[in-house]
Amino acid sequence: MNERMPQPSVPAPAHRWAIVCLLLGLATACGFALEPHVSLTSLAMVYVLAVALAAYKLDWIGSSVCAVAAVTALNFFFVPPRWTFEVESQEHFIALGAMLVVALAISHLATGLRREADVARLNEQRARQLQALATELANAAAPDQVLALGRSALEAGFAGPCVLALTQDDGRLELPTDAEATERDGMVCCVREAAVLGPGTGRWPGLDAWFMPLGEKGHVAGAASVRPAAAGDEGAREHAQALCALLGQALWRLRLNAELLQAQSEAHHQQLQSTFLAAISHDLRTPLAAIVGAASSLQTQREKLDPAEQERLLASIASEAGYLSTVTENTLQLVRLSGSAQALRRDWESLEEIVGAVLARVRQRDPGRRIKSSVPDDLPLVKADPVLLAQLIANLLDNALTYSDGPIELSVSAHANALEVCVKDRGPGLTNAQQASLFAPHVRGDHPGVRGAGLGLAVCKAIAEAHGARLTHRHRSGGGSRFSLLLPLENPQPAREAA
Amino acid sequence: MTLRVLVVEDDREIRTLMQSSLSVEGFEVQTAVSLREAQALWRHSPPDVIVLDLGLPDGDGLELVKTVRAQRSTPIIVVSARHQETQKIRLLDAGADDYLTKPFSVAELLARIRVALRHRGTALSAAVTEHARDDLRIDLAAHRVERDGQAVHLTPTEFKLLARLVRSAGRVVTHRQLLADVWGPEFTDHTHYLRLYMGQLRAKIERDPAEPRHLLTETGVGYRLAAD
Repeated sequence: MNERMPQPSVPAPAHRWAIVCLLLGLATACGFALEPHVSLTSLAMVYVLAVALAAYKLDWIGSSVCAVAAVTALNFFFVPPRWTFEVESQEHFIALGAMLVVALAISHLATGLRREADVARLNEQRARQLQALATELANAAAPDQVLALGRSALEAGFAGPCVLALTQDDGRLELPTDAEATERDGMVCCVREAAVLGPGTGRWPGLDAWFMPLGEKGHVAGAASVRPAAAGDEGAREHAQALCALLGQALWRLRLNAELLQAQSEAHHQQLQSTFLAAISHDLRTPLAAIVGAASSLQTQREKLDPAEQERLLASIASEAGYLSTVTENTLQLVRLSGSAQALRRDWESLEEIVGAVLARVRQRDPGRRIKSSVPDDLPLVKADPVLLAQLIANLLDNALTYSDGPIELSVSAHANALEVCVKDRGPGLTNAQQASLFAPHVRGDHPGVRGAGLGLAVCKAIAEAHGARLTHRHRSGGGSRFSLLLPLENPQPAREAA
Repeated sequence: MTLRVLVVEDDREIRTLMQSSLSVEGFEVQTAVSLREAQALWRHSPPDVIVLDLGLPDGDGLELVKTVRAQRSTPIIVVSARHQETQKIRLLDAGADDYLTKPFSVAELLARIRVALRHRGTALSAAVTEHARDDLRIDLAAHRVERDGQAVHLTPTEFKLLARLVRSAGRVVTHRQLLADVWGPEFTDHTHYLRLYMGQLRAKIERDPAEPRHLLTETGVGYRLAAD
């Protein structure tokens, strides 16, 4: 594809005459060498051979000139009277005349044959180029790649200069800034009309190039200008059109693919959001009902309630509001993480610190100190978003506190390429079906009388994924759940302080 | 003399709530609903404490913090929602004293104001050089740190780090401030230094380094030396 296509196999004009002189010189030399032994007819055959060779190798002008010159030379050197241009007998006239006709006929046939062979070879080259381009385009993943392939194909197939340009989303052509006015106008016009312009097309025949749209009417993805362009060279124009058609198809395919992907991701996103909204509305409504109930009770019946009862209602308002705040925080985080690429604020973090900060917060819900933590010192640092990681661990601990009664173990351990954070409880555990759908945002365990926290686990999963970490759940022997977060370690660790 | 608090908050409910709960505690409360109004009140009569909400309609408060810091060391407490982390840290780096994350309780607000007022004027008067809480005794002037009456040996960098926190005891100190003050302004991106040295400090000072009671982590923001 990178090789230039061969040009038709005719020597340049200067070489042409050299070949004619060489052939005739050789024929004459042979003539003199053979003269004592053979008749004039055989000498004529030597010249015919020279003419046949010339006709095979040269175009029709060269071979005709060679034929006439051969007849003249035979006449001059060998036909009596020798060393004159005169012809003695009528017989020799006929021989010379016949030889001229034969020479011209061979020349005509040979040039025709050669032209066809040239055309056939060029067509084969072009077909091969089209095939190669089609194969390469099938693997192109971006418009820029298509453009680069198209550019090298045009450069290989045509002397150039050739220009390629893509249409942008707003329909304007993305032309090089130094493009000339005619170039620009030709490109824009061929895109607008979705038709080829230039010599031999009937539109703008005075141009020095063919301007071709990439793609068909309705979805033109760009334009190309191809040089040199000649009105009579239909083969070249058709080839250029075929190349441009391939490029147009490839660009159209890429555009369709991109649209399809976007549509799919939007549909997925919408579906996620709707199940998600349905799920959280429950989680929001229940605490709201409790708050409104308690507050209105205090508003209307305060005198009738004894102080202990009033205190209980106030405590309920505070704790329900706290729960509401957690749900809101998780909801927002999940929307943020599932939306467009969330920018994590990653930094070198110490898990000991993060666990410490989480415990300080979660202990308010853990007056009996059910959570036992074990964090070794000198753990390697991790590159993570500390706020999100803290939220993940807090959610796991919150769930364990809500769904189990026994002791809860929080442990961090270092493996070869990862840090593992483990939260183990002795709750009722999960059925296999529950386990399968555990991390979906709308699912929560069937625990009568206890609030759902499926949302919390969905947030955990999203945070883990954003960090390239893995969050898994396993049953514990002896009952209960074991959540494990495997955080990949960054290598190398940051440099220690230069002492 | 009653202390004056300027509350800059555009939400009426929260503004009213803060006003009434601060008034009950004996503060004289002024309120502003925008940064412009806050600037005007500041010029007219500077308060003793400023409580500044981040989600104001006319800006993020950075200008106000700069204006205030250019003139006085009046404590500024930033009130932010969870998603305003970056903005909050920028204000703390610019000189705000502390922060509260919405939703917060009245008790938290009062505690923050108390700590902020305790530090009021430390830029001018003698700085804090001693710290005592529970089992921990620190005397910066004497270069002495004790836990349960036992002397704790610290390396020079550990001591500098602890000293910086003692001088702001009870208040949050951002990563950037700590790195700049202890290692130098060119090290403000080296947060991993902090992780390592805070780990070492905790191992020496805390009973349970994994659940610290003195050297508290403000996740994503900085550190705080707990004060009563």
